[in-house]
Amino acid sequence: MTVCEHHESVASYVLGAMPEDEHERFAAHLTTCEQCQTTVAELQVAADSLPLAATQIVPPPELKDRVMNVVRSEAQLRQAAEQPAAARVKEPKRRWWRGRFLGLAPLPAAAAALLIAVLVAGGILVAGGGDNTRTVQGQVLIASAPTARATLKLSDDATKLTVSGMPAPPAGKVYQVWLKPPMQAPKPTRALFRVDSKGDADVQIQDSRLKGIEQVLVTAEPDGGSQAPTSDPVIAAMTA
Amino acid sequence: MHLADEDLMQLVRRGDAAAFEMVYDRHATAAFSLAYRMTGTRNAAEDVVQEAFLSLWRSGARYDRTRGSVRTWVLGIVHNRAIDALRRSMVHDRRRASDEGIEERFEARERTDVEAARRDEARDVREALETLPPEQSKVIELAYFGGFTHSEIASMLDTPIGTVKGRMRLGLEKLRGQLGGLAEAAT
Repeated sequence: MTVCEHHESVASYVLGAMPEDEHERFAAHLTTCEQCQTTVAELQVAADSLPLAATQIVPPPELKDRVMNVVRSEAQLRQAAEQPAAARVKEPKRRWWRGRFLGLAPLPAAAAALLIAVLVAGGILVAGGGDNTRTVQGQVLIASAPTARATLKLSDDATKLTVSGMPAPPAGKVYQVWLKPPMQAPKPTRALFRVDSKGDADVQIQDSRLKGIEQVLVTAEPDGGSQAPTSDPVIAAMTA
Repeated sequence: MHLADEDLMQLVRRGDAAAFEMVYDRHATAAFSLAYRMTGTRNAAEDVVQEAFLSLWRSGARYDRTRGSVRTWVLGIVHNRAIDALRRSMVHDRRRASDEGIEERFEARERTDVEAARRDEARDVREALETLPPEQSKVIELAYFGGFTHSEIASMLDTPIGTVKGRMRLGLEKLRGQLGGLAEAAT
């Protein structure tokens, strides 16, 4: 039997040592190559044992508290959203940006209350700035990050977004800034960003004040950005 | 009542926070240990474990029991998240800078028979790794715990990529053979 030309790469794949583009190519190859599938299964057994070689350390109890606080609040939200589901009239599916704001499915009162709590925690205040500079507090729409903040600074010569306490975007994704004119789909910008270990980032959106834009939005998109949003917004800030 | 991990995952899928808490309690130490070994700092390890467990909570439906245990699945998520964190923030350099000695302060105690058995298993894996030729254990260590790509390892060791991949394969094959032998001897 001829040995597959990718055979030598299997160990790198199971160890997670492939660069991202090569990883994707190999994963695609794997769907059709039985020989590599067998080798992956064999070597995976060894790779799966490796975590045991790490010295076992008990995580701090505060970590569990943080995780469980998010889990319990999301479980409540989910429960509240599911209860009267049968009684709800099914709405036709639509893109979230078709509406003025979030396009969220109507939620029952309890779920809505929780969501509002999240939004309020995220801040919805519009504050004035000095001279020609205006500061707008954006809404952070991530339930697991109640302390995250987003601030938009609009001046004649720049539009900037500052975020803090934001979770990192999911693996393989970046945050992308969108500009949404009224009644239109959001327009992509080249402002792509990740956050540092504290969840902070300063993002220059453009070198002038926004014109004809109703909202600045942020979504998590595949590396390199997208032409149209592929996920719901995580930050929304009204500019007018 | 003691529910198996797989049964708990069924409940987690339906949004059961109490079931999720049991999954957390069972696997958080292994998850934190792996994340700490990889990132080398307590804060980074906490971030990784938090992200991993929340992603597990939100994507419980993706767990497929035919493809391995819940523990392996959890640790796989932690491993991927830690690699992302390492490659994103380049915390490689900060590794082991500020948290030396954490093992003494926080090392897990053997509280149950299950944990004691796991300790034995851990010792077997460490010993099996030690019996590998150093050039093989080195590339496995750099790749799995260091989060380095095979190209980075090749350039760090000034060795062709093909050789690095070959050493990874030989090392894993030997490791599998040794662990398989241990499992057979134990039964």
